[in-house]
Amino acid sequence: MKNIDANNHVTGRSIYVDDVPELGGTLHAAVYASPHAHGKIKKIDSSQAERMPGVVRVISWKDIPGQNEIGGIISDEPLLAADEVHFQGQPVLLIVAESEEVAREAAGKISMDVDPLEVITDPRVAFEKGHLLSDSRTFKLGNSQAAFANCKYIFKGKAISGGQEHLYLETQGAYAYPLEHGNLKVISSTQGPTVVQRTISRVLGLGMHHVEVDVTRLGGGFGGKEDQASAWATMAALAAWLLQKPVKCILHRMDDMRMTGKRHPYSSDYKIGLDENLKIQAYEAVYYQNGGAAADLSPAILERTIFHATSSYFIPNVEVTAHSCKTNLPPNTAFRGFGGPQGMFVIEAAIAHAAQELGVDAFDIQEENLLKNGDEFPYGQIAEGCEAGNCWEEAISIFEYERIRKEVKEFNNNHLLVKKGVALMPICFGISFTNTPMNNARALVHVYGDGSIGVSTGAVEMGQGVNTKLLQIAAAVFGVNPQRVKIETTNTSRVANTSPSAASSTTDLNGKALVNAANQILEQLKIAAKNILGLDSTEGFVIRKETVWINGKPTSLNWEDLVKEALLMRLNLSAKGHYATPGIHFDKKTEKGHPFAYHVYGTAIIVSNVDCLRGTYTFESVKVVHDYGASMNKMIDLGQTEGGIVQGIGWMTMEDVVYDENGRLLSNALSTYKIPDIYAVPEEIDVHFLNTPGTDMAAFRSKAVGEPPFLYGIGAWFAIKNAMLAFNPNLKADFAESPLTPERVLMGLYG
Amino acid sequence: MAIFNLNVNGEMHQVDVDPSTPILWVLRDNLNLVGTKYGCGIAMCGSCTIHLDGEAVRSCTLPVFMVGDRAVTTIEGLSENGDHPVQKAWLEHDVPQCGYCQAGQIMTATALLKENRKPSDADIEAAMEGNICRCGTYTRIKAAIKTASKSRRI
Repeated sequence: MKNIDANNHVTGRSIYVDDVPELGGTLHAAVYASPHAHGKIKKIDSSQAERMPGVVRVISWKDIPGQNEIGGIISDEPLLAADEVHFQGQPVLLIVAESEEVAREAAGKISMDVDPLEVITDPRVAFEKGHLLSDSRTFKLGNSQAAFANCKYIFKGKAISGGQEHLYLETQGAYAYPLEHGNLKVISSTQGPTVVQRTISRVLGLGMHHVEVDVTRLGGGFGGKEDQASAWATMAALAAWLLQKPVKCILHRMDDMRMTGKRHPYSSDYKIGLDENLKIQAYEAVYYQNGGAAADLSPAILERTIFHATSSYFIPNVEVTAHSCKTNLPPNTAFRGFGGPQGMFVIEAAIAHAAQELGVDAFDIQEENLLKNGDEFPYGQIAEGCEAGNCWEEAISIFEYERIRKEVKEFNNNHLLVKKGVALMPICFGISFTNTPMNNARALVHVYGDGSIGVSTGAVEMGQGVNTKLLQIAAAVFGVNPQRVKIETTNTSRVANTSPSAASSTTDLNGKALVNAANQILEQLKIAAKNILGLDSTEGFVIRKETVWINGKPTSLNWEDLVKEALLMRLNLSAKGHYATPGIHFDKKTEKGHPFAYHVYGTAIIVSNVDCLRGTYTFESVKVVHDYGASMNKMIDLGQTEGGIVQGIGWMTMEDVVYDENGRLLSNALSTYKIPDIYAVPEEIDVHFLNTPGTDMAAFRSKAVGEPPFLYGIGAWFAIKNAMLAFNPNLKADFAESPLTPERVLMGLYG
Repeated sequence: MAIFNLNVNGEMHQVDVDPSTPILWVLRDNLNLVGTKYGCGIAMCGSCTIHLDGEAVRSCTLPVFMVGDRAVTTIEGLSENGDHPVQKAWLEHDVPQCGYCQAGQIMTATALLKENRKPSDADIEAAMEGNICRCGTYTRIKAAIKTASKSRRI
């Protein structure tokens, strides 16, 4: 089935927050943010702004009726700065005006003085000074110290990965308006409607039941609207509450870029030990996460980094430690992969380093150490249904890796200034929120009198196709035409206490809750069928193509008549379904458990083409064998893969988030921050679906697909590095810094 | 403020706005044509692409006073029933993910095909490079443009 929104998307009829028709008297809010990265606030002058015609009110932290606090995991982040500022772009005042232009112009007339405090932008410096956002974490397996003593080869190095601006094309925003009885409705572009609801309720000092959050769809999220949609929604709600007027707060692109956090940059140290057979016997790493000025989701992201420290490999002796470092940058946040890619880059850098020093292909080390069924992850979970080897072997055979390798070598022998590089990138990604309590969802399903069906869940559509998949699930379970099913907006009054649409788990959790609700209604419909058909039992009851079947045979009873009869019998055709992932647990004291419902596997072969005069590069091909389980929608899953690869390549190659030493964002607009355009796409993306039955832990045995393909982008870095090595065999072996921009390539080629 | 008579999607509209207002906001706020999107405000992302006498332009940096009597076409006016060959090709290849940039992509692609009925890969890349898609749907955009170029109605 094609994306159910496609028709509206191509005709401009899909509605995003700023497209919602405005109520009369709607006001507009703009944010005044700190121009200083760190300091004690001495004086704020907003008098000129307040006097401007059209300005309705300038709101400060003093106007907040509840708590001035928006921190999700740790309470360390004010909505509006009170005494101190901790990053450039930290919201200080909210200007509400009759138009957006006036609000923004007024914000430009505000000034602020601070007593400056030390500005730290480097996570290692923050760590040295003891500025941490949360407790450091260590995962251990075996005894790495003892194992290193027996290793024939040991390599140490440093790996750095940069930040990444989400650049969802729809900027952050929300529209809030007061309702009767002291209630508020907020239309928000958020991945986490409940997060927004909870934050507003806290800041306004209202019960959560007073706040209704509604989401139609997002113009991209990628993690950037998991936690960080809350501030803007809460500001709109605060202004709407104080003024009792509708208020819209939509960020200008440059404000969005300087005020919101990004993917966490990491600086890491690794030590890898191998035996003479290239078996990795020991691995140690220390990760310094650049968390920014407040915790946001950093502790959870830190955790996922070490969950993925050994990527697709089994290493018997591991010790990995991660520190979440507090710096004076906007609080960094979730971004597709959620810290996993940062951890996986480091182990791949360590393997590439070892390969270069040993004069072997990284391929040989990768292949020798691939994860197998029964292997233990450093966090205690045992690999089951492991497809690492199957994906790897299939990629090598169907894409003829040996031929590719030879062709690349031959090309490099015959070309002086253009070199090719090939790299393999095996992936393994754990599916579930690592915070076990978040792995649950609910669905509210109504079957209406005419046989049509309304489905509400906690899932937010942001382009990942979850609504299409939910519609497929509803149609399949009820055995009806898809046209009968409508997926409603995501609304906190219909489905409460939801987990954000994140961790690639949205379809699994909400889809399974939907199956549960649908099955409850089917039980009611069985009673009606029994009555109409005069059956003794409803054994073998099933609905296929809108017809009731009993014991493998169609009856004369169709869907619409069945529904009518059920309602005449006063049966309940509405149900609330619930799902909580079974069997998962994790003990943070021992750092062991079984946190993931399952893992997703795959292997990519990436070929780069590097211009060694200019340092520029293209990607000739990305060939993938991916474990989708039993994909329920190949078109959508393939789209997620193609898009994830492009985004991953962007992170590893061209996307360069740059702050100066004063914490000012230099890459602050689309003119200074480059993301992949149509030129950056690999000339060929060839994706092969691994033939596998999938897992019962996934909705319809169709595995989660949102984040894993992003990880293939990591291979792009190593494909470029291998091309660079063909030009400059003296390239530093411990050279592992991303993004690998053309400037860095040139420095590596001639440095 | 000043009065402008605009020819938008084949209909005349009168608006009273500041002459420097980008046409994007006149379309969205005054004419309620919200299919054209704001993305970056500096003509670097292409989300706001419209046609001016059939040529693709970025509406976020085009002041309304510069439009004159040229015909403005937005995604809403591209075809009567969403059946322009480019829209149909977009559906066939299931191009959109989040959808936000797609109106702009389609407006640029239709302008390209009007100029060049059989664009090469290089032509497609040159025409589309200013239209950013963060979901990364470029592979399908290329394929859809090729499909549309085969339509007799282009």
